[in-house]
Amino acid sequence: MTPDAEPLLVAEHVSVSFSRKRLFGRGPAVRAVQDVSLRIGRGEAVGIVGESGSGKSTLGRLLLGLIKPASGEVRFDGSALQSLSRRDWRALRQRMQIVFQAPYGSLDPRRRIGSQIGDGLAIHRLAAPGQMPEAVRALLEQVGLDASHADRFPHEFSGGQRQRIGIARALASRPDFLVADEPVSSLDVSIQAQILDLLDRLRRELGLALVLISHDLAVVRHLCDRVVVMYLGRVMEEGPARSVLDAPRHPYTRALVSATPRIGAGGRPARILLPGEPPSPSAPPTGCVFRTRCSFAIAACGEAVPPLTQTNHDHGVACIRLADLP
Amino acid sequence: MRRLHARLALPALLILSLVVIALAVPFLGLPNPVRQDIPNRLTGMAPGAPLGRDEFGRDVFSRLLWGARTSLFVAFTATTIAALAGTLLGMLGGWFRGVAEFLSVRIADVILCFPPILLALLVVTIMGPGVATLILMLSVLYTPGFVRVAYGEVLSTRNQDFVTAMTALGATTPRILALTVLPNIASPLLVQYSLTLGAAIVVESGLSFLGLGVVPPTPSWGLMIRGARATMEQAPLLLLWPCLALTVTILAFNLLCDALRDAFDPKSAASVGTRPRPRLVDRFAPGLFPTRADSGAILSVRGLTVEIGTRRGVIRPVDDVSFTVGAGETLAIVGESGSGKSVTVTSLMGLLPAAARPVAGEAVFEGHDLLRRSPDQLRALRGARLAMIPQDPMSSLNPVHKVGDQVVEAILAHRSIARPAARAEALALFRRVGIADPERRLDAWPHEMSGGMRQRVMIAMAIANRPALLIADEPTTALDVTMQAQILDLLADLRRETGSALIFITHSLGVVAEIADTVMVMYAGQVVEQGPVASVFAAPFHPYTAALLAAVPQDDAAPEPIPGAVPPPHRFPQGCRFAPRCGHAQPPCGEAQPLRHFGNGREVRCARAGDLRLGRAAHDA
Repeated sequence: MTPDAEPLLVAEHVSVSFSRKRLFGRGPAVRAVQDVSLRIGRGEAVGIVGESGSGKSTLGRLLLGLIKPASGEVRFDGSALQSLSRRDWRALRQRMQIVFQAPYGSLDPRRRIGSQIGDGLAIHRLAAPGQMPEAVRALLEQVGLDASHADRFPHEFSGGQRQRIGIARALASRPDFLVADEPVSSLDVSIQAQILDLLDRLRRELGLALVLISHDLAVVRHLCDRVVVMYLGRVMEEGPARSVLDAPRHPYTRALVSATPRIGAGGRPARILLPGEPPSPSAPPTGCVFRTRCSFAIAACGEAVPPLTQTNHDHGVACIRLADLP
Repeated sequence: MRRLHARLALPALLILSLVVIALAVPFLGLPNPVRQDIPNRLTGMAPGAPLGRDEFGRDVFSRLLWGARTSLFVAFTATTIAALAGTLLGMLGGWFRGVAEFLSVRIADVILCFPPILLALLVVTIMGPGVATLILMLSVLYTPGFVRVAYGEVLSTRNQDFVTAMTALGATTPRILALTVLPNIASPLLVQYSLTLGAAIVVESGLSFLGLGVVPPTPSWGLMIRGARATMEQAPLLLLWPCLALTVTILAFNLLCDALRDAFDPKSAASVGTRPRPRLVDRFAPGLFPTRADSGAILSVRGLTVEIGTRRGVIRPVDDVSFTVGAGETLAIVGESGSGKSVTVTSLMGLLPAAARPVAGEAVFEGHDLLRRSPDQLRALRGARLAMIPQDPMSSLNPVHKVGDQVVEAILAHRSIARPAARAEALALFRRVGIADPERRLDAWPHEMSGGMRQRVMIAMAIANRPALLIADEPTTALDVTMQAQILDLLADLRRETGSALIFITHSLGVVAEIADTVMVMYAGQVVEQGPVASVFAAPFHPYTAALLAAVPQDDAAPEPIPGAVPPPHRFPQGCRFAPRCGHAQPPCGEAQPLRHFGNGREVRCARAGDLRLGRAAHDA
């Protein structure tokens, strides 16, 4: 049905903006995601990094079809998400799932975890009602939890365990595409490593394509094949995780990498302090959105949005001064 | 329901008996409630008429029970109709927004504008009095309440991650509304139901009393009060019985719905047994006179132990913690959640919750023991010599005051200078902490500032009175890395300039490496290792420190998880507290370990500290 050349998920020039309702009319539009193109292959892990307000979470929901793009198109396995009928869209949900930031709000506090994990099975009729408890037990064991805990409530679990439950719920419908939105950012480091291990193992075992949204560069570098760096709704740099994070080209990625604290002296490039604050997403600068905080900015940066220039190895950088950078 | 506790039993029993009585009245063989017996009017209690007879000689007891039937029927039916209609409308309005929202919420608002009695008069005038009119009127009257509660709750629930998860799973809208949204908005609706039911009984009685409700001679509590009022002087008791019935019924409903709400919430039901209860713990603190601080040390803590009395017994979230901080020095306290790092510093600030008490040890700050100072003395110190930078600058700034005024207040709280002088100082502080356009920002509201900017305001407030010691509790956790880098730089600058000491609590080892001179690693309430940052991170002596370092993903080393989790304070192991999670545990670890000195300012709490080679250095070798 689908040509093999087409990656599992393709986003082409997607943009979306939000505006708050006011008493009269609407407030200024917040341009959350602007003109982002992305391809994710089967079984590939792609990291989306950026700071708050960069639009990375919005992009994750766009890729899942939970938000409709104002312009552009998202295709999953050849079918455009926004032109699907409601029924087809719902059927497709079986194949694309999301894991949220634990432990807050990701689980329904009023339902036993077994029944929440079973939702995916029930909705897509993947297990007969009689086999449900067995299937839920298998899922719990798959994520490293005690199978006998299925009839407990979420508050009886620790943060790390809740994240395992969230992952089990997402895996229940046997998806081949998973978006994990800051899955470890509120967990202790020792628990973080447990969850990262689990995600990595499941991804390899199940052949999942994974989009990992995170502000933690080290986590993305460890888990992902490719990385997309976002700032104020636009892609600044994109490419193989190692090459982007070890040898960043874009001035923003450089600042981001240099600001990440490291254990042990040496290895970290001199810290580049970004002056001031990120501009408001409702009034982004013209041209390159990063130019107001960039020490390499020249007048031409304000004229046009810099295109993503391919350097070597699939590595793209949106900067017109790429050749002049030290 | 598994936890049918006593709170539910009493009101449930009361209501159950009321309902049973109301249903069984026709079969009880009571005297006809409408049969008049004029010769015996207003007779008191007598055989055959246990509560006496009313102004028409009708049996009061019989009328009371038959009246319960009318009152409860009207109230239950009207409230249930209102609840069903209102919840449905409110949920649709909150979920679909747009036209549905306009129709449901605006119509509800319009109905709410009518005074209830006026509405009743209108409906009764058009339709004539009677039970059916009353039910219709009451349901229309009470629907908006349910619409608004359901609407508001749906709005706050619909954006929760677990609701998005259901959408992502492909659940149909009715399924999401019924299975996920409804249970989560049920508690406020139940409360609304109980309040409405009570109100409906009162309004039914009131309208009947006014002659707008139930038509005589049908027995109803309102009509009974109306009748009894006329003969109040001859037979005052007649007034008592219907009033008593009303009061008990409404009270029972309120109690039931309160208990139901708790029972439906799995969290509150469970927490009844586990919530820590303040208990009068031993106030006695050993050590009569505080020793003078070590020379050079601004703060010297020795043997600090904090106890909290809970239902499961006394727990010790902080156990025998000792450390010193010198002038201009930065100490980082690291540990996972539950390690006791925050309790340690809040006990120094004298800000422990009521149930917690420092029971042993001392904390000598500028020659005085902080643990033995009076609350007033501590208050004078806090914000002056001893200042704190909180984790979440949003919740720490008062949203209804301008940030400049809050800094001015912080200055005036400890120094008697004129307000303009304080404002000038606030301006200088804003400039010092790197707030751009400080004149204008003084008059900004907290919500107009970004997280990094608010944290700068908090730092300006903390350094306003030139403290000797700054305590920062996860000050950069809520910030982005580029903002974090700015704040860490600022703190380092300030420390160099003012020579104040800094205690920095964090769970990020990278941040520790960036900012601290010495590090103290805590686990399960104890210090497990402390020493100079560079030497501890290069060659940790304690397996927990090594495991923490190995758990951070960095370069090509894959993060290594630590199995298990920090035990809760009532289940701390007897011996080494880390032993159950430790890959190097051996028999001696079953016994409590002291903190041992290893030279170069390093201390370790591990039985095997001498013979283990740990850390990345060991990996490389």
